[in-house]
Amino acid sequence: MLAQVKSWWRALTGQSRLAGEMASEMDGHMERYAADLMARGVEPGEARRRARIEFGSTAAAAEECREAVGLRWPNEFGRDLRYAVRVLRKSPTFTAAAVATLALCIGANTAIFSVVDAVLLRPLPYPAPERLFSVARHFQGKGSESYQTNLWGSAWEAVRDNATYLDAAVFSDGSMGVNFAAGGGVDYVKQQRVSAGFFRVLGIKPLIGREFSMNEDRPAGPAVTVLSYALWKRVFHADPSIVGQAVTLRGEPHIIVGVLPAGFRSIVPADLWTPLRPSRSGEGGGSNYAVVARLHSGASWAQANGQIEAIGAPLMRQYGQDASTRLRLISFQRGLTVDVRQPILILWAAVGVVLLIGCVNIAGLLLARAAGRTREMATRMALGSGRAALIRQMLAESVVLGLCGGAAGTGLGWLGVKALKALTPASLNLWQAVDLDWRVLAATAFASIAAGILFGLYPALAASRLQIRAALGEAGRAVAGGRNPWPRRLLVTSEVALGVVLLVGAGLLIRTFAHLRGLNPGFDAHNVITAELSLQDARYATSQSVNRLFEQSLARMRELPGVESAAVTISLPYERALNTGFQRMDGPHVDTESQITNMFYITPEYFRVLRIPLLRGRVFTAADSSISAPATVVSEAFVKMYMPGDEPVGRHLDLGGGEKREIVGVVGDVQQKSGWGDGAPTAAMPDIYIPAMQVQDKFMQLVHTWFSPSWTVRSAGPAEGVIAGMQRALESVDPQLPFAGFHSMEDVRYRALSQERFQVVLLGALAGLALLLAAVGIYGLIANSVAERTRELGIRLALGATVPQAIRSVALPGVALALAGVIVGSVLAAFATQMLRHLVWGVRPGDPLTFAAVGVGLLGVAAAASFLPALRVTRLNPAETLRQE
Amino acid sequence: MGKQVDILQGTLDMLILKAVSLGPLHGYGILLRIQQVSKDALQIPQGSLYPALYRLEHRGWIAAEWGESENKRKAKYYRLTAAGRKQLKSERQEWKRLAVAIGDVLAAEPEEV
Repeated sequence: MLAQVKSWWRALTGQSRLAGEMASEMDGHMERYAADLMARGVEPGEARRRARIEFGSTAAAAEECREAVGLRWPNEFGRDLRYAVRVLRKSPTFTAAAVATLALCIGANTAIFSVVDAVLLRPLPYPAPERLFSVARHFQGKGSESYQTNLWGSAWEAVRDNATYLDAAVFSDGSMGVNFAAGGGVDYVKQQRVSAGFFRVLGIKPLIGREFSMNEDRPAGPAVTVLSYALWKRVFHADPSIVGQAVTLRGEPHIIVGVLPAGFRSIVPADLWTPLRPSRSGEGGGSNYAVVARLHSGASWAQANGQIEAIGAPLMRQYGQDASTRLRLISFQRGLTVDVRQPILILWAAVGVVLLIGCVNIAGLLLARAAGRTREMATRMALGSGRAALIRQMLAESVVLGLCGGAAGTGLGWLGVKALKALTPASLNLWQAVDLDWRVLAATAFASIAAGILFGLYPALAASRLQIRAALGEAGRAVAGGRNPWPRRLLVTSEVALGVVLLVGAGLLIRTFAHLRGLNPGFDAHNVITAELSLQDARYATSQSVNRLFEQSLARMRELPGVESAAVTISLPYERALNTGFQRMDGPHVDTESQITNMFYITPEYFRVLRIPLLRGRVFTAADSSISAPATVVSEAFVKMYMPGDEPVGRHLDLGGGEKREIVGVVGDVQQKSGWGDGAPTAAMPDIYIPAMQVQDKFMQLVHTWFSPSWTVRSAGPAEGVIAGMQRALESVDPQLPFAGFHSMEDVRYRALSQERFQVVLLGALAGLALLLAAVGIYGLIANSVAERTRELGIRLALGATVPQAIRSVALPGVALALAGVIVGSVLAAFATQMLRHLVWGVRPGDPLTFAAVGVGLLGVAAAASFLPALRVTRLNPAETLRQE
Repeated sequence: MGKQVDILQGTLDMLILKAVSLGPLHGYGILLRIQQVSKDALQIPQGSLYPALYRLEHRGWIAAEWGESENKRKAKYYRLTAAGRKQLKSERQEWKRLAVAIGDVLAAEPEEV
């Protein structure tokens, strides 16, 4: 057996050598025979002739020899492929259309799959990632469920102390820019805050040094940091003696305790790590922590999850969670991707549908082609070709098409991945790169071959099922009907139906995007430059020092030429704002429990810089200082939600600590990333503003661990020098503070909808592709039917039918099929759009306008695609048509 | 040249194995030897010899190597392998059994049936 495989392999890999050997062996045979004949007295020429004749065909013998060593199958396969290439090259239009269709579909699939793979499928790049879990809040509603991975400090402590099957650690979601000073320069680097044991749980050993100890990971513990390999190399030139030395981080010395290995990428982009120091109060009083846990060896998920649910039950009650909310253990990767999972799966489904439509389209083209090849097929069968051989031959053509399309699609996919990265640089900056790696290429190759078989199988089966005599005798002479048109019609209908689903989905997202874009921002973004910097800095631990920095730097910025006004705010419109609790102290509603609102500290000129209108009362002035009466300005949405029908100015709020803060004014709403409430991407949220001068030290420190305040400067016109001027102004006040980067407020506004834009652009492009494919499918069907029915139409015209009648009789089936497709597709879309429920704003998933627009639009395109080829009827000359053949 | 007999499918393999069991031979030599030993009674279609040789080599019953022939030309020589020897033995027994059986059938008298 082994000898046979070896012999087969030798033969397969050395086919040309084998052919040469056989030829020389057989030639030698004939020469010897001829020599023997000559020895018996036969004349040389005659001897050679007889030797050749008696031997028979050397080609046939060689073929039999090859078959004898098992080369029949690979040889036939190769022959099929060669023949397929030849056939395809003979009809370049068809081949180009099919390959282009496939290239687009497979390119789109390749690009999207590379994202799906990196985010959802490829395991996290840590050892034994299948044993890593997130502790998440699981909410089960009617027909919907959701996960949230952010937890409170007390929940973390409960998990840490009671979950015996888990090795758990805790970290702060996201990374923050902080100031880093070493070797004479200042740098703005990304810091992630993690607890002791975080790297152990991930399974990562520091390259040198160690990770944080329990002693370092508690409030007021020693200031330490762990560096990334890249930062260590860049700043310290990979000097191993750096461990134990101090760097200035956030304005105070931190001892470097370790450096992580080169390949390590955390779950968010980070240059260095500092201890989280989890607690029950302050930061831990809110749900600001995320838990990662590794299952102990020997323990099962079921055991650990049961324990987590038991731990979670009292906590969920304590934090007033919905009754159906439970604490659960979900895979860490799932936990990291709770927000992006659904949009990515929807995109994946959409590209899958586009590929399906592409396959349907090519199947239609192949069916039409098969009709034209009936004679060829019949001839080949008459000459003794088996049905299996015909099917194999036609499948070979499909697979060659699939592979060509796949190769071209890989190129397009590569461009697509580059475009995706450019479109959403931040959200694709993951724990692993989004790339065309071998996994994606393997998936593409598989998709190409599967597509080839998918669109090739039915036409191949249909084409090979023919009566030789009938086909040879009648082909091309059919007057009417002839071939069964229904398979192609069904294909076109289903393609339209699938197109409707995609178009409705894209339409809903476009309407959502238009709605969000159309929302009044509430401020004037023109000519405003903004820059943020980190004040998570030991030198700015007091409200007084922070306010001195604000005052001095703003004063210098106001002196810049062209600058009208300047202010600082803790967060900008369109960004996620700080949430805080408050209680109403007087008026018709007096609270005993806390209400939630967005909160901003600002310097007095803020409303002027952004031109947020004052509706009632007054804005802050320099007189609202740390020693004057506590004042607050609220937004219109705040009044609507918490003080409807009441006069807000003069009322008092308690922002914690029992301090009475008087509402002195009401300003207009601005759009913000909501973060709470109904979860809309942006909304006019209830806001309260307080003067930066009146923020307490402790609160300011806490806020600065999460938020970097933004300097905002309005200039009279587009002033180029403003950015450099702002930088100089800051440097003259504190040379140790770097701005993280400058943006116009228009940029900030643009970025706010980046995820929605991403979805709209992608789904819109896919839906456009689907529409194009459907149009091409209908066009092909009608054009083909005109060609098939030329004789019939000629007879009709000769018998007195008018040209419009003939056109109608050809084109109407296209429109009718499209109508059927639209109806079926609308029903499908009604179900499918339920998936979009969480992505659609300002419009219902069943939006009749979108459905109607898609239906009418598709029918219009279908009508155009039907009547255009039908117009060929006008060029028919009945007399000529009838004389043909 | 006496009367020629067409060779049964499958018996060609056995004849080739037998021919090379007496010593390495090239293709034409095998043909000659079979004809010679059978006194020209067995005629092998020349074209079908080589597929049979390749089939036997593929199965590992004979091995081939290039050598120099009597008239200083390169030729491919086939020899029997150990597996081939075993195969020849079993085919021979099989053939004898078959020959006896066929002989019995042909020798049968009407009353015996």
